[in-house]
Amino acid sequence: MDVISHFRQESRTYAALGFVAICVIVLPVVIDSIWVKVLTSAVIFTLAAYGISLLYSQLGLVNLSQVALIGVGGWIMLRLNYAVQFPFELNLLVSAVITAFIGMILALPAMRMKGLYLALITLMVAGGFQIIFSAIQFPNGGAGFLGVALQSPGEMRRPLIAESDTAYLRYSIIVVVLGVMLAAAHNRGRPGRAWAMIRKSEANAMAAGVNVTLYKLWCFTLSGFLAGVSGGLLAGALKILDAKSFPAGESILLFALTIVGGVGHWMGAVIAGFLYRVVPAIFNTIGIDADLSLVIFGAALLHAIMTAPNGIAGQLSSLFQSLGRQNK
Amino acid sequence: MISGLAVGSLYALGGIGLVVLRRATGFLNFAYGAIAAASAMICWQFIDWGFAGPVSWLMSILTGVILSVFFGRYLAPSLAWREPVVKAVATLGFALIILGLVSFIWDDAARKLVLPTDKIGFRLMEVRITVTRIIAFGSSLLIALGTILYLEKTRTGLQMRALANNRAHSALIGIPILKVETIAWALSGALAGFTGMLFGDLVRLDPTIITFMVIPAIAAAICGRLESLFLTFIGGLSIGVAEAMLTLVKPAAPFRSLVAFVVAVLVILWMQRKQRLVFQTED
Repeated sequence: MDVISHFRQESRTYAALGFVAICVIVLPVVIDSIWVKVLTSAVIFTLAAYGISLLYSQLGLVNLSQVALIGVGGWIMLRLNYAVQFPFELNLLVSAVITAFIGMILALPAMRMKGLYLALITLMVAGGFQIIFSAIQFPNGGAGFLGVALQSPGEMRRPLIAESDTAYLRYSIIVVVLGVMLAAAHNRGRPGRAWAMIRKSEANAMAAGVNVTLYKLWCFTLSGFLAGVSGGLLAGALKILDAKSFPAGESILLFALTIVGGVGHWMGAVIAGFLYRVVPAIFNTIGIDADLSLVIFGAALLHAIMTAPNGIAGQLSSLFQSLGRQNK
Repeated sequence: MISGLAVGSLYALGGIGLVVLRRATGFLNFAYGAIAAASAMICWQFIDWGFAGPVSWLMSILTGVILSVFFGRYLAPSLAWREPVVKAVATLGFALIILGLVSFIWDDAARKLVLPTDKIGFRLMEVRITVTRIIAFGSSLLIALGTILYLEKTRTGLQMRALANNRAHSALIGIPILKVETIAWALSGALAGFTGMLFGDLVRLDPTIITFMVIPAIAAAICGRLESLFLTFIGGLSIGVAEAMLTLVKPAAPFRSLVAFVVAVLVILWMQRKQRLVFQTED
């Protein structure tokens, strides 16, 4: 029995590795330049969606401000890019850490509140950042702290090993995989056990000596970190960020799609990123109004909430499991 | 100040609709703004087709009621036993569906919703006040009072309050849960339709903007702890007025819409000041 479960575990790891390998090696070769851009942003949003998924699956916390935090990460990344000559990776790390810190501070007031109020606070935060972004804009190399000029005098640097769009897609996939692995490592370790206990019962967790507030905050910070990394990567991918791209509505949409994709599994986040970026692009290409994708997403969210708590990823994996059983 | 009061009353109206529904059914309706948007667009459409004003207004409010009751009657019951966050997330799904349909049917062209009451107005101390603004303010005052009285004095109001306390016990003592809930959804839907119409006239007729009007409305509702109609009303008004006042202060003007969120976050902080334990309860 142990051998079998070990084997299952291994085969799952191999499946994941195979998926990543296909993404890194095959995909950039077979798609054309427009789809490289679409896929890059889908990959980047996957990481942010994984942050939402982590919070929701581990602690049942609803985070409606993830896209706003991506905006924060992107802002810091652009700011650093024009201010200092550090390598891309260092800038990315710094902006992720600062974003995580900001996310943590914003979540702090709601930590003792019940679930609904945390959701509302994050929604207020998302609404607030939407206004701040449109007031201060994103840096594009201008003078001063805000660094906004009418015409961009500078350029957003990309990592030296990934100057072209295709290379940048590969680069993003690798960074995103690293980010997911970091979160998964948390899940397996001490924080994961604490989260599991808090999820079952906060009172029991507290009685067992788990610092509930700290671990909730930890989860939030980790999710903010992932959002910061996505924001930095997005700044590198697009080279220029638009203040209109980070409204509260997008945060809500990304949250909805994460639920639809399936929480608690990295595949769910991949599906969420795909739905968020690739599906509207496909709709545009084949001439269907992209607004209709919202209708489908909404219906899928209702369906996921009412009947399929594990989302598409959960349905896929139970499908595979039942297939596997038949083969035996 | 005057325009602040008018916009503030819209937030207050939105907040009241949210609080009524939340108290009776436990749903915090994120789709409220989307319903309002659909109603506003229907109103515009009927006026565009050349229908008389009152018909369009009625259709607008009717749209609100139909959409709201549809969710309340067919989708909400299967979620009745889930925790409030899940219920709120479900309404997000409904909001996306409505928003998608509305922006699909009416493309991005700029439109204006003009109510006949815009042209009637008078001057008070150098400021022109249109009747629409007075309607917004007056009706929100009346509706706030009316709803408070309705919940306090009538039988259905009593039943709604009972439902809010404990749904299972209310069912046990013979309260017709579905009927009372449907009434609450209809009431809140009518309010959404009315708010949407006024918002389309006073601020802007744009489905996305009206849909996300729900965020300041929620901020107003938070001021009333999602329970008190009176505090919600005051909260909505003060947010609107504070926003309008900040337009006069130059450096703060671009940030004026932040007021709603800052107020809401401060209220939440104030509410949790004495909370220590974090036992998971029904909320």
